[in-house]
Amino acid sequence: MRLQLDIIHIKDIQFAEKTSIDKGILFVNRQELQEILKEDKRLGQIGVEITHPGEKSRIIQVTDVIEPRAKKDGGVDFPGALGKHGMVGQGSTCVLRNTAVVLSEYRRAEDPPMQPGMPNHGAIIDMSGPGAELSIYGKTHNLVIIPWPAEGVNLHDYRIALKIAGLKAAVYLARAGVNLTPDEIEVYNLPPLTKISKGFGNLPGVAYIFQFVSGQFESIPGYPILYGCGAERIAPTIIHPNEILDGAMVTPYRSMDIEVYGLQNHSIIKELYRRHGKELYFAGVIINVAHDNLQENERAATMTANLVKWVLGAEGAILTKCGGGIPEVAMALTAQRCEETGVKTSMALVHYPTVLEGGDSIVLFNLPKVDTLVSLGTPHALVTLPPTHRIIGELLSKKEIPQVQGEIKIPLNMMKGVLSQIGDSKLTAIQY
Amino acid sequence: MERRSLKIVHYLNQFFGGVGGEDKAHVGPQVRLGAVGPGRAIQEALGKQGEVVATILCGDNYFSERIEKATGEVIGLMKPHQPDAVIAGPAFDAGRYGIACGAVCQAVQNQLGIPAVTGMFKENPGVDLYKRDVYIIETEDSARRMGEAVSRMVNILFKLLNHEEIGKPSVEGYFPRGYLVNEISDRTGAERVVSMLLAKLRGEDFRSEVILPKYDRVGPAPGIEDLRSAIIALVTDGGLVPKGNPDRIEARAATRFGSYSIKGMDVLNPNDYEVNHVGYTPVFVLQDPHRLVPLDVMRDLEREGVIGKLYERFYSTTGAVNIVENVKKMGRAIARELKGDGVSGVILTST
Repeated sequence: MRLQLDIIHIKDIQFAEKTSIDKGILFVNRQELQEILKEDKRLGQIGVEITHPGEKSRIIQVTDVIEPRAKKDGGVDFPGALGKHGMVGQGSTCVLRNTAVVLSEYRRAEDPPMQPGMPNHGAIIDMSGPGAELSIYGKTHNLVIIPWPAEGVNLHDYRIALKIAGLKAAVYLARAGVNLTPDEIEVYNLPPLTKISKGFGNLPGVAYIFQFVSGQFESIPGYPILYGCGAERIAPTIIHPNEILDGAMVTPYRSMDIEVYGLQNHSIIKELYRRHGKELYFAGVIINVAHDNLQENERAATMTANLVKWVLGAEGAILTKCGGGIPEVAMALTAQRCEETGVKTSMALVHYPTVLEGGDSIVLFNLPKVDTLVSLGTPHALVTLPPTHRIIGELLSKKEIPQVQGEIKIPLNMMKGVLSQIGDSKLTAIQY
Repeated sequence: MERRSLKIVHYLNQFFGGVGGEDKAHVGPQVRLGAVGPGRAIQEALGKQGEVVATILCGDNYFSERIEKATGEVIGLMKPHQPDAVIAGPAFDAGRYGIACGAVCQAVQNQLGIPAVTGMFKENPGVDLYKRDVYIIETEDSARRMGEAVSRMVNILFKLLNHEEIGKPSVEGYFPRGYLVNEISDRTGAERVVSMLLAKLRGEDFRSEVILPKYDRVGPAPGIEDLRSAIIALVTDGGLVPKGNPDRIEARAATRFGSYSIKGMDVLNPNDYEVNHVGYTPVFVLQDPHRLVPLDVMRDLEREGVIGKLYERFYSTTGAVNIVENVKKMGRAIARELKGDGVSGVILTST
């Protein structure tokens, strides 16, 4: 399967009469975009804002971030999630680099936040200062979408519509680039399983076990995750890495430190590709789920280990998790099963402390041979964000403006693009 | 200006202090002027910058049988020498000695307000007890390579005295004190995790970035002989509390628990309870608290005579993002209260 990313470097975004790209400037017809998004009857008014790196602005209530991408030559964008079905992971995809669609949700005081214990302003992206330094999305030109629910629409339906609006906006923007000559081309080409190792007989086969859904928090029925379907209870399955990069998968609503942008630019998949044929051969990707019960987690662990060992024939496996406690236990259980079958493992995890700040590490397992761990940083470390000029997004109450506009001190996991459960950050937590 | 020589007081047990072996483990604290035994290695490492002015000796049994009192006596003996800093041990793998060294260093820091440092083997129980509060240099299990350990102890002591930054545990040689600090690596997590796997596959050395914790195995208590006369209690770490969370139980890293009356009640009314817990979405519990605290079926069992009696309060805390020490403390306190009231079995529900 061969995927070609035709990348256009974007230097600026501006509102204009017509949506187009010229000399690296993305012009956006705001009204046209709003009308397209409003076709979804679950949504009411739609805020669309632009913000750039270096601006004194603070995006609040951020639920997801998506890189603008559109399939070329009749390919299907976000199959299933946007209605139409079809193949992804092959052909060419137009990518608008250095830009992102940021989803900011409208929340009423009585609506439960994305994650329990979240402050009223939700997750944040700062476009300047220390917050921007730390975050991937503090360095991209961002188009922020703030859709309100239409009257009478329930919360779950609104949250599904919100994600779909973000995906639509990302495709809408990138369509402006499909006929342009790309500034850069990246190719991701991995043959079928039976042919991957050809010529690499002396290299170890390495698989990636990608835990992509967590049953830790309440899921939203009907939320489009895998080809437009829910995936909360799926058995482990093999998927081509290009499918993940190219829109087959989107993040669940309560995704923790993984955004759609992260899936599109999956750093572990890219790293395995980079070393493919040199230090290892990329034996494939297995996706699995962290369940909220032992029975299903045991099933997932056993089936995953068998797939790695006896179907992919890999000698090593990389594991990551997609949540907090239960996902960590599920990941460790899977690694243990792999090690028992003779597959060597390493894993990367956001590294929890015992108390909010300055605590010790509390990894939830200590299993033989499951001893190869990379720390992706500790999420509760506090960062002080200086006052800002502009708030983008809807507060629960206007009364909160001075507080949210002023200096705030928040833990890293309340910012988007700082922590990455799939290794797309240089943060590491050291035990002192 | 030449700095005056620093005054160091050294703590030793009876063995390293040259008083004697196990037969002298009962001797109480006493003072020797100047350096004794391993103190001479310390003096050598200090060079001209410091002087071991006095050594306090104490028997291991004397200390471990009355830790608080003995600590006070040792501190009392140190005071007249007006030390700038204290070094204890190293205790190697000697457990009672390690605990004494940890306790002395902690008290020196807290009561005298001066730096203290000690050294131990990784399996010494003193490490887990005191590593959070005291810099403990890792040593071998015996006096092998003591010179190296002593020079590391002295090195850290000087840094503490000069208010210099203490480097990473792996560089300075001390046991991590349990503070996680974010730093920026030169490579992404993805690059590192692939490199580490390749090293493992090739059989090369690699250093895991996360130290795995040690967990106890808790053996099950013997079964209840006669359930029909037993008092059974309900305990949960799912964070169910009466509206308003009267005991202010934390949503994560809880240090508190509460117990709430269910006397005369057959059901838990959802309107009367809330959940304060960051680790799960409590919708199903809020709809019906029995999903977490099964009062309804316990009353059935009580009526049917399957159990003797349901204990009149349920206990609750939050089991999210917590350390073993916190949880152990709460578990012991809850067990003590329940045992005191004649409870012989607990149904513990988690989330």
